[in-house]
Amino acid sequence: MDFFLSYIILAEIYALLALSTNLLVGVTGIFSVSQAAVFGVGAYTCSILTTTADVPFGLAILAAAAVCVVVNVLVALPSLRVSGDYFVVTSFGIQFLCTAIFENWVGITGGSSGLTGIPAPEVFGFHTEEPTHFVLMSSAALAIACVCFHLALHSPFGRLLAAIRQDELAVAAAGQNVLRGKVNAAALAGAFNGVAGGLYGAFLSFIDPYSFDMQGSILLVSMVVVGGVRTMAGSIVGPLFLIGLPQLLAFIDIPSSVAGPVRQLTYGVLLVVFMMFRPGGLVGRRL
Amino acid sequence: MLFLRLLIDGIVNGCVLGTIALSFTLIYSTTRLFHVAHAGVFTLGAYLVWTFLGLGLPGPVAVVLGALCCMALGAATQQFLYTPLIERRASPLVVMIASLGLLAIIENAIAAIYTPNILLFPPWWGKDIVQLGSVPITYAQLLSLAMGLLAYVFLMGLARFTLLGKRIRAVASNAFLAEIRQLDPKRVTIWVYAIGSLLVCLPSSLIAAEFGLRPYSGLLYLLDASIAMIASGLGSFTGAFFLSILLAVLQNLSLMVLPGQWSIGVTFFLFVFLMLFRPYGLFAHAR
Amino acid sequence: MSYLNVDSISVKFGGLQALDRCSFSVEAGRITCLVGPNGAGKTTAFNVISGFLVPEGGTVSFRDRAISGLRPQEIVAIGLARTFQNLRMFVDLSVLDNILVALPRPFGNEPLSAIFRPFKTRAVERARVGQAEELLEQVGLGARTHDMVRDLSYGEQKLISIARVLATGADLLLLDEPSSGLDAEALDDTMVLLGKLQAAGKTLLVVEHNTRVVQRIADTVLFLHQGRLLAQGSPDEIVRDPHLTEIYFGGVL
Repeated sequence: MDFFLSYIILAEIYALLALSTNLLVGVTGIFSVSQAAVFGVGAYTCSILTTTADVPFGLAILAAAAVCVVVNVLVALPSLRVSGDYFVVTSFGIQFLCTAIFENWVGITGGSSGLTGIPAPEVFGFHTEEPTHFVLMSSAALAIACVCFHLALHSPFGRLLAAIRQDELAVAAAGQNVLRGKVNAAALAGAFNGVAGGLYGAFLSFIDPYSFDMQGSILLVSMVVVGGVRTMAGSIVGPLFLIGLPQLLAFIDIPSSVAGPVRQLTYGVLLVVFMMFRPGGLVGRRL
Repeated sequence: MLFLRLLIDGIVNGCVLGTIALSFTLIYSTTRLFHVAHAGVFTLGAYLVWTFLGLGLPGPVAVVLGALCCMALGAATQQFLYTPLIERRASPLVVMIASLGLLAIIENAIAAIYTPNILLFPPWWGKDIVQLGSVPITYAQLLSLAMGLLAYVFLMGLARFTLLGKRIRAVASNAFLAEIRQLDPKRVTIWVYAIGSLLVCLPSSLIAAEFGLRPYSGLLYLLDASIAMIASGLGSFTGAFFLSILLAVLQNLSLMVLPGQWSIGVTFFLFVFLMLFRPYGLFAHAR
Repeated sequence: MSYLNVDSISVKFGGLQALDRCSFSVEAGRITCLVGPNGAGKTTAFNVISGFLVPEGGTVSFRDRAISGLRPQEIVAIGLARTFQNLRMFVDLSVLDNILVALPRPFGNEPLSAIFRPFKTRAVERARVGQAEELLEQVGLGARTHDMVRDLSYGEQKLISIARVLATGADLLLLDEPSSGLDAEALDDTMVLLGKLQAAGKTLLVVEHNTRVVQRIADTVLFLHQGRLLAQGSPDEIVRDPHLTEIYFGGVL
């Protein structure tokens, strides 16, 4: 039962990330491969605050969300101003830079060994070290995120982002500020990633740089591609499938030394196959 | 003295980086697609050369074979992945995601087959040293300089004096018109991928022999190279090549003040600086 | 004091001089047609005026205000909007949504208001939907508001592009080939529509290839050739000039 709950909790945390990646990549059309880095910024921020500074979890997670918003906006402002390929390079650069910071700023992040002993909070009397209680918290967070996603998507903001995806020049000709739209999308995505990061640290009680590296960003893109873009369902189905994938792969006899690369290779295959044959994903719209 | 050592090392590294940048510029300026899988072709080249060396083939033969394999992979990518997608009117975002997937496949296949550890193969050209004033230069460094200059001369010659070069320039400026004038842009583009992929095997082998290479290293090198390419104004071989040298020199000189792992940060900050102050914006090339 | 003044703008693409110290002006309330052979620089001039292209030299001023260097959305806010030759519709959105994007002063256009003030967002949207529907009625697309743009015919999409510039509230409309690709009936409808827009106080600058359309709607014609203004006059003067006809048609006809 605990095992199943762990699966659900992780899927829910990754669903938060999938919603934000969906917003950036699927709705707005921005090729972002640095979402795992921002997830990491959120995780480290929240975890450092709750461990070393004894900040209550609620405040820490809000702080993490705020930091991620700022990071995303600071990155987006210069790089989204110019053509899309500048942003691709920047996005890769941010991802590598953050991984370098996570690995090398040993005093703050614990370096390659990571941070341990991250506490799970007590929320309204629920002791969330228990998965049965944590799942209530993560489900609540996901539900709130889904409401926000729905409201954003079906508002003038959502329409603006969809228009930006289809034709930026026409959006400018219609009198709208394309850069502001994209930066706002990046800000919202940052908030989701920050919350996901805080939950992740609290759930696993241990984080290291290797959940937040380039491979992590590729995993996120895979979730969104497999689940499908521009629908909420896609951001839930994708993580459910991909978090469960390692269990499926366990049925094939793969030596543990290559398990990691084989898993990552599967993500790559999924990306290529879905782009070639099913760009709409399982339950999404056509990318 | 240290400065001279770092300067010369920088120029040498710049020639290696410049060759990567030249190969990528050839592809990008013709297709305007950010072929991230190029990083995979780059890495695969070195590993294939190592395999051929392990089979007992002499050094130069191994390199030639490796380069031919890279050429085939690059051409196949264009023919079997990108072209079908483009014919289905896939957006550039879809193509880039497919390219990312291919990169993940190549890198992880290498990691699974060859182990994720660092690859370092003994250079067959020996450890001879030449004295340039007070500074010793290894044979490998001389090779790097030669490779860079040869690659530059080759591509400039290709662009200016050959029929293929003229066709490449025509396709690069307007693929649609090139189609009408029966220049067969598809075939031209396959040649572009072939030549670019062939070329990138050379710096890859040198890096593997001099510094070592990991399955996932390719992307970082490609990032550096693409920054040089973008900073030089896209589509200029001369700019990309000499800016690579400048970038490598600056990175190397920064070692006088920064620890090694942060030298990527130097390039990154230069890039951000560039994006903030480059005069043209989003719509400068609209017609 | 002229309404739109283009002064010595130059644009070079690689080796090609698209605009060569081009100067002309447009009077308020008139329909001015911009004509000339292919490659004369008409669309390039549009791109410069509307802020999509930065010229190498020269200035553009609108209502005595220099607009060169402003970004496209800022120029739209001042009252100058343009259509595109290749339409640039948001094909994945409905007809109504295409207009709603262009209506100024939206509420709920960014995440905080969209998420935390959903009721006000809906209320403001309802009002704007009403405005958009009226506009669509005006151009004759009232019945198609909820259809996806990709399901509409070319002629209908052209009407949406006109409705979209109208939605911005701009007074000076730059229309890039509004009549191209239309059948005779749609062509007539378009000319009537343009006349109505002028009667409503709009100023139109129209790139046009169809001489019949030019003769019927234009108050003034500007003839561009090789990036400069070659001739200017009434439609009759321009169309009947044999020298210009030869340039335009390359001696044939």
